[in-house]
Amino acid sequence: MDLLEYQAKEWFREIGIPVLPSQRIDRPRDLKGLKIPYPVVLKSQVRTGGRGKAGGVKIVTNTIDAIAAAQTIFNLPILGEFPEVLLAEAKYNSDREFYLAIVIDAVARRPLLLGSTQGGVDVESNPEALQQVVVEREFSPFYARRLAVKMGLQGDALGSVSAIVEKMYGLFVQKDLDLIEINPLGVSSTGELMALDGKVTVNDQAIARHPDILMMAEKKASRPNGYPSVAQVGKWNEVDKSGNIAILGNGAGLLMATLDLIAAASHRKPSVCLNVGHGRIGANGGLNFCDRVTQGLELIAQDKSIHAILVNILCSVPTTVEVAEAIATFVQQHDNKTHKTRSHAQYPKLVVRLAGTDLADAKAKLDAVQVSSMEDLDEAIAQVVRVAKSSLPRRSE
Amino acid sequence: MKLKPDSKVLIQGMTASLWSPYIARMQAYGTQIVAAVSPGQTTSIDDLPVFDLVEQAVAAVGAIDTTIIFVPPYQALDAALEAIASGIKQIIIISAGVPPLDMVRLLRKAEANETIILGPNSPGIIIPGKLLLGTHASEFYTPGSIGLVSRSTTLTYEIALELTKAGLGQSIAVSIGSDAIIGSSFLQWLQILDEDDTTEAIVLVGEPGGNSEEAAARYIAEAIDKPVIAYIAGCHAPAGKHWGHTGTLAAVVGRGDNVGTAKSKLEAFQAAKVPVAERPSQIAELVKKALKKK
Repeated sequence: MDLLEYQAKEWFREIGIPVLPSQRIDRPRDLKGLKIPYPVVLKSQVRTGGRGKAGGVKIVTNTIDAIAAAQTIFNLPILGEFPEVLLAEAKYNSDREFYLAIVIDAVARRPLLLGSTQGGVDVESNPEALQQVVVEREFSPFYARRLAVKMGLQGDALGSVSAIVEKMYGLFVQKDLDLIEINPLGVSSTGELMALDGKVTVNDQAIARHPDILMMAEKKASRPNGYPSVAQVGKWNEVDKSGNIAILGNGAGLLMATLDLIAAASHRKPSVCLNVGHGRIGANGGLNFCDRVTQGLELIAQDKSIHAILVNILCSVPTTVEVAEAIATFVQQHDNKTHKTRSHAQYPKLVVRLAGTDLADAKAKLDAVQVSSMEDLDEAIAQVVRVAKSSLPRRSE
Repeated sequence: MKLKPDSKVLIQGMTASLWSPYIARMQAYGTQIVAAVSPGQTTSIDDLPVFDLVEQAVAAVGAIDTTIIFVPPYQALDAALEAIASGIKQIIIISAGVPPLDMVRLLRKAEANETIILGPNSPGIIIPGKLLLGTHASEFYTPGSIGLVSRSTTLTYEIALELTKAGLGQSIAVSIGSDAIIGSSFLQWLQILDEDDTTEAIVLVGEPGGNSEEAAARYIAEAIDKPVIAYIAGCHAPAGKHWGHTGTLAAVVGRGDNVGTAKSKLEAFQAAKVPVAERPSQIAELVKKALKKK
């Protein structure tokens, strides 16, 4: 989970990484009570990059300008995201800008310290200036000094920069982060350091063991565009909105392979991939595997642009028969509804690919509700592509 | 790696009723599960002695070769450290969603103790017809001579099924796991399969994220004598989306955008002259071709 800049800076302040005086702005009129002297920088608090270029950062010199600028920024989406809050921050004159970050290197399987004396927007254009230090064993401040030396720092800067890296590392471990980044780290003419922007990504798998972060995550999830019900069913991934096939499968690798096969067979990517997880991964929000299959189909069926669903499940626990029953339940529920409203095509066409033991029994269960099922994956792909092509647009209810 | 059917296996985290079917399946497959550890639940379950501590299990049944960890993800680090402290050298972590920094700590300890860790988020190892260490659905496998190493669970079943349908059985199948930070790598398993007498050819199954396939491709070119066939899932998957697998911590700042994509993996295999299948059903055909050439 990515934190917003103001949240990252709150953490920086708590652990003693220098940040500018700032104030959170929830609505433009909050600027009337501003305690920071002008000039002030107003920054859109969105999780995407490129805010400056998009017009999400403005320097203001008085209250009237500030309120007008805030109104503009609140109404400016950046890569589709509107800010819920702004950050008003004192302006800072830096002489130079550095870059500092800590990530986990998935290859070395160790934390990696990164630093460059060419920070700011230039960091990406100067990859050769980016220095790396792998934290091989237990962290000790010498790793931070090793980075500072590699960056070419000397004298006071060596000590002050490595002190910041040390604090960043503390936060990295304490809060289970995937990434902590300060870019730019402003350096004034007197050598004073200031974290001018911060990026913090909390590891999603670890959120639940940090009560404070869990609260932030729940707040975010309760926003209207969140999908709380989908989260209980599995991982929902939109692939291509122009597609009319959805895939429901168990396992990320299998879903990716199925996606590739559909793209190759129809020259069109599927619309949605829903991963209901493995049978062995238990209580996913309390739903068992078969319930996740039924409710997953229900969720997909709500999207009128989807004409066909390929269910691709390789199962063992639960058995193919149990999964077939779950699919049949979905079909029966919808057939009853369709009968009452006398309209057709209330849900997408289903093609079911099941593999595992007791396939004959599973097939019989699906035959009973007129759903075609097969074991061969290539055959299932050909059929779902054919079905999606021939089906008429679904009528709305 | 000691993978003999008579090697002694411990289960850590026995309580969850969710796991008991898997334990019964392993036993039915002939795996010698000698004890389980489940603190505070000291009774025996179906003749299987259950202990509070790993060291008590070791004291009662003697040295243990492999432990299979089923505990909730936040307890996996502690369970594995306990196993290492009791001298266990092979650890399989089935649990999914172990925080990366826990894995960093565990791997430092494991390397210092020469312990091999498989997983987390792995179904373990299967030697079809002989040994099941983990949750692999054994019905998809048949005994044979093709080694299979992969990063995902159900996709491994898919490939095994395709191989079986084409008359190609499997010698060893392993999924190295799909969490962000995992223990044993493709490289280690390629080496194990290369040294395994039963294995005649190897199938490597990859996906976008990280750069373990790229490293594997280079290693194959340099060090593997047996034929290797690769398959990469997710060539059409939108960048940055990995469907629930977290083995993709490719926030690899400063390493360029092209790291870890399906394309960079395909290119790596091409450079290593490793044939790449376009779809699962093509793998068997490529394996047969490679075996004929040998």
